[in-house]
Amino acid sequence: MRALSNHDASSISDAVQAAARARAEGRIPAFSGGGTDLLQQVKDGTDPANVIINLRSVDEAREIEEGAGGISIGGLATLAQVMDAAAVRTRLPALAQAAESVGTPQIRNVATVAGNMTQRPWCWYYRNGFNCFKSGGDECFSVNGENGQHAIFGGGPSFIVHPSDLAPVLVAFEAVFQLAGPDGEREVPAAEFFVLPRVDPVNENVLGESEMLARILVPSLAENTVSSYYKVMDRAAWTHAEIGVATVIQRDGNAVVDARVVLSGVAPIPWRLRAVEEFLTGRQITAEVAQEAGNMSIGDAQPLANNRHKLPMTSAAVERAIIGLAAG
Amino acid sequence: MNSDSFDPEAEKQAVAPDAPESPSRREFLETTGATVAASTVVSFATPAMAQSADTAAPRTAISVSVNGVRHEVEVEDRWTLAELLRDAIGLTGTKIGCDRSECGACTVLMNGAPVYSCSQLAVWADGAEIRTVEGLARNGELTPLQQAFVDNNAPQCGFCTSGQLMSATALLAANPSPTADEARAALVGNLCRCSNYNAIVEAVVAAGEGGVA
Amino acid sequence: MTQPTRIGLEPLETIGNDTPRIDAVERVTGAAQFTRDVKLPGMVYARVLRSPHPHARIVSIDVSAALALPGVLDVITHETSPIVWGSGCVSGGRQYNDPIKDATIHRRYIFNNPVRCVGDSVAAVAATDRNIAEAALDLIEVEYEELPFVLEPEEALADDAPRIWPEGNMCPDTRNQFEPMTSRIGDVEAGFAEADRIFEQRYETGFVHNAQMEPRCALATWEGDKLTLYTPSQGISNCRHDTARDLGLQDHQVRIIAQYMGGGFGNKNQNQDADLVAAELSRRIGRPVMLEYTRRDDWLGVHGRWPTVQEYRVGVKDDGTVTAMQLRGYSGMGPYRKNSGGISGMDYYACPNRLREIYPVYTNRTTSGNFRAPSDPHGVYGVESIMDDIAYEMGIDPVDFALRNMRRPTEEMQFTNYLLEEVITTGAEQFDWQARRRVQPGSDEGPLKSGAGFSFMMFRAGLGTSSAVVRVDSQGQYILYVGVTDIGPGAKTTMGMIAAEALGVPLSRVEVVWGDTDRTPYSVGESGSRTTIMTGYAVVQAAENLKRQIADRGMPDGADVLIGTATPVPTTDGLIRQCFAAHFVEVEVDMRMGTTRVLKYTAVHESGRIINPTTARDQIRGAAIQGIGQALHEDLLYDPRNGQPLSPGYYRGRHLTHQDIPDIDVTFIETDDGYGPFGAKTAGESGIILAPAAVANAVANATGRRMRSLPITRDKLLQEVSA
Repeated sequence: MRALSNHDASSISDAVQAAARARAEGRIPAFSGGGTDLLQQVKDGTDPANVIINLRSVDEAREIEEGAGGISIGGLATLAQVMDAAAVRTRLPALAQAAESVGTPQIRNVATVAGNMTQRPWCWYYRNGFNCFKSGGDECFSVNGENGQHAIFGGGPSFIVHPSDLAPVLVAFEAVFQLAGPDGEREVPAAEFFVLPRVDPVNENVLGESEMLARILVPSLAENTVSSYYKVMDRAAWTHAEIGVATVIQRDGNAVVDARVVLSGVAPIPWRLRAVEEFLTGRQITAEVAQEAGNMSIGDAQPLANNRHKLPMTSAAVERAIIGLAAG
Repeated sequence: MNSDSFDPEAEKQAVAPDAPESPSRREFLETTGATVAASTVVSFATPAMAQSADTAAPRTAISVSVNGVRHEVEVEDRWTLAELLRDAIGLTGTKIGCDRSECGACTVLMNGAPVYSCSQLAVWADGAEIRTVEGLARNGELTPLQQAFVDNNAPQCGFCTSGQLMSATALLAANPSPTADEARAALVGNLCRCSNYNAIVEAVVAAGEGGVA
Repeated sequence: MTQPTRIGLEPLETIGNDTPRIDAVERVTGAAQFTRDVKLPGMVYARVLRSPHPHARIVSIDVSAALALPGVLDVITHETSPIVWGSGCVSGGRQYNDPIKDATIHRRYIFNNPVRCVGDSVAAVAATDRNIAEAALDLIEVEYEELPFVLEPEEALADDAPRIWPEGNMCPDTRNQFEPMTSRIGDVEAGFAEADRIFEQRYETGFVHNAQMEPRCALATWEGDKLTLYTPSQGISNCRHDTARDLGLQDHQVRIIAQYMGGGFGNKNQNQDADLVAAELSRRIGRPVMLEYTRRDDWLGVHGRWPTVQEYRVGVKDDGTVTAMQLRGYSGMGPYRKNSGGISGMDYYACPNRLREIYPVYTNRTTSGNFRAPSDPHGVYGVESIMDDIAYEMGIDPVDFALRNMRRPTEEMQFTNYLLEEVITTGAEQFDWQARRRVQPGSDEGPLKSGAGFSFMMFRAGLGTSSAVVRVDSQGQYILYVGVTDIGPGAKTTMGMIAAEALGVPLSRVEVVWGDTDRTPYSVGESGSRTTIMTGYAVVQAAENLKRQIADRGMPDGADVLIGTATPVPTTDGLIRQCFAAHFVEVEVDMRMGTTRVLKYTAVHESGRIINPTTARDQIRGAAIQGIGQALHEDLLYDPRNGQPLSPGYYRGRHLTHQDIPDIDVTFIETDDGYGPFGAKTAGESGIILAPAAVANAVANATGRRMRSLPITRDKLLQEVSA
């Protein structure tokens, strides 16, 4: 690994100040929660960071707490913490399922919620060092290349897919992200945290320089709300989602009062299926309704040359997620 | 995180008798003539560090407990935990297969939890308790898990074995009688290209309470 | 422990009994010392700079900035070190023959100009620590003139294709002729004329990296003109000879030490460029040099199984008798022919009219070479795919079709023993073949469809020369000296067991000295599944030699020792010696997600007498799982526009995990044909040969769709389903 320096942050405030300071000195800081992915990128040279802001030494933003308004999840809580937390398992099962589906035990033991949310794309062009949009270049090599794993929704000019499993769940829960920066804190709705490449071809989210995701607030859910995360992988573990479906449904009796269906693995941001949500609202979930929802889910899809297989997959995944949640 | 505290008797052991002595460790013991106790502060320069001419690389002094022995050591900030363990401390039972958190050969326990030591900076282990494969056997006596690995032919080439053992050790600490499926889930982050998966899972189940060796 | 089912022979005193490895404790305590674990005084580290281009001429290399970096000791390039790596590119893929290596016109150097694939070695740096060596790579300034490249073997044979070598892109054979490998039996056109129906199909298979857990490395140190190499080699004797030849030394001037090693599966045969690079750097700077390949270095700079295109034509009579078989195959060898490029499988059939033409072709992908049963799994996949389709098309049970058409002993071709029918019928019964297969492929209702497939094989178990030495002292303690390494199958334990059996003493009385050319005699190497039968037979003969001495002279007294040696040249008396196997697989395919799950796997093997059932079982289980990975996941994707590899590594390769595989049921039908050590045959490679074919046939049976390309990934499956 090339030379770098580590700074043990003492607090969130210290972390963002240290990042700003490093930047002012012409160096390139990176926050490290678990550090697993960051170190791969530094070793591979796809992340130019040379100052690591270590967040393990930070005592705050690690807790998962249930309060009157909902559940607060520290950005530095590990995925192992999330999947094991009683409040998450009982109130937000989709989030526990998403956390449990990430990587391997070794990764989940260190990986943080904030890191999962802000990890860079796993596109094989970007990760193999191509000078693409994500590296600051001006081409998406997947367009005329190997694009079997790339976006069928929301692509252009970059066609990466967002890699986070937790992100679509938090969008579906309409969580609020608390961001901390050198100039103070701000709150952003989860859905507005992630940005399409047509808005920002380089960054996947609105985080400013030296700003970090400090905390996530999941507001209390209405009575009779159920949720699930359905993930399809290329092997049993340790791949990102070929497709993931976060589903949150509020029911009254058998009828859907409100629904959120958000996809991972198929778009550059967590991809919300508003048409499907509206279709489900007011209906009882039957096999036919779930099938119709699945069919509707790919209405806006724009596949590339080699990722057409994601269309039937998406339909099937949405259908199964909805019917599975209704049955469960 | 599940905690994995060492028994006090073992903590008094300076070096697990089965652990291969590194040159640095041996050098230290020879130069001090000391019997190192867990509370003793160990400080040494390694050959690699002494030779390093890359003075530009930032360094940090850390304190880390490895298999019950505390090490006060100056590391380069860029060193991974695996490099610290293998090169500086001389515990080469931890292997580097991919150096990218893809294979699991480097798995060690950090404060009781399995982590990929190739993907942790050594400085991040400051204050942590690390347990490696060399810290399993006590006084030359294998743990039931290690014995089950022997009896069930769990190692083929042996390169992934240390990592498999560490993940399984953490599993057994939390769940003394795992089923085969529980073993598979706990060890899923440890690849075996000899693909001796059946035998490894059989060993882990056998090592559990009530398991049949 | 799930023990293999064993049919046929009773255990002997030591052989045939489940025996823990004699070095198992070292393997579970971290005490086993692998090459990277060795540290020598004054040792420095080396790293290799690799080509970022698929094909380019190096116009200039400026190493001055790298040399100026504090801690950097040396940089070598094609200009400083024009060393031919003899086993890196050998005409005809014949690795074991000096005259062929001398004759070959296509020489591979440790650093080549032009560079011919992404990952081709350009330079190496030695520095006081590995991070400095790595940093120095960035400071080497290379000016490249990019050249046109070609990735696909058929395209590479086009007249206007970019030329990777001056003579074009066909690989030369041992006589430097540019002809396909052709095997002609009978009259294939007459056979097709005789047929009632003719079937034609085309299949493709991907590049499969060996992906052994331990990346290549080498530690070189010199004392005067003697080189000691610590290196993970599957064959220390061959590695010594290769290294000596490549460096202009005598064999005795090279010592190879390879004891514990983290797998190889054919990736660590012979010597490797890492050995030569480390030796050259160490010679130049006068210090021990540890060269460590990164995982990416290993993936792109060593080799994997060659990708193939296979076009079959098969003629069949209405009664199901195959009358003609024809294969035209293309094997993508990368830019250096490191092995044959063979595509086998047709030879399991009795069909009297066969024509096989295989074109080994240079491409600008990474190099192809040995991977466990190098020519077989992909070929058997192709042959068994078309045969399976023919059987179902004609309404014949594929097992019956095999029994009708498979090769059997003839007057001219007798076997030492022949168990092919037994392994097939035993497997069919154990697996419950009739219940699990769908007579009408794809007939399950709903999106989850199950089905079963099978495949069968015979694999060489011929004998050959190796050496062993056994010593006994006056205490009755025996030491066995064998030049084996322990790559994973447990050769050290197996050799000890054979010695104990032959000597009539318990295993605990036999110490095994291994893995060091200065301390052990010639051994054939852990490749070709030959150690047990060849070195094992030498152990038997050395033990017999020692027993004769003891009978003549009595046990040694005092400080005296007796030493038995043997370098036998065994033959099979003109008989063919083969091992036999059949694998049966049940899968479930999710037609909407394109995923395939293996539900049940039954492997029945005849490998003669089984020396150590535990380790033999795990050779078969592990190999079968590797084969499942080849069938369903593993490939190396390239960007067609710029020739860059996109999916090296375990994450991209989707290598199987603990949670992806079922229990593999293993049965050994044991026999003693009177040859080899106590009747033992080959085992290690044979387990991988059948998995891709059996899995692919099971997928076809479940889905009613024939997948014509390995691996059977979801995108291909869903594309086929929607077609």
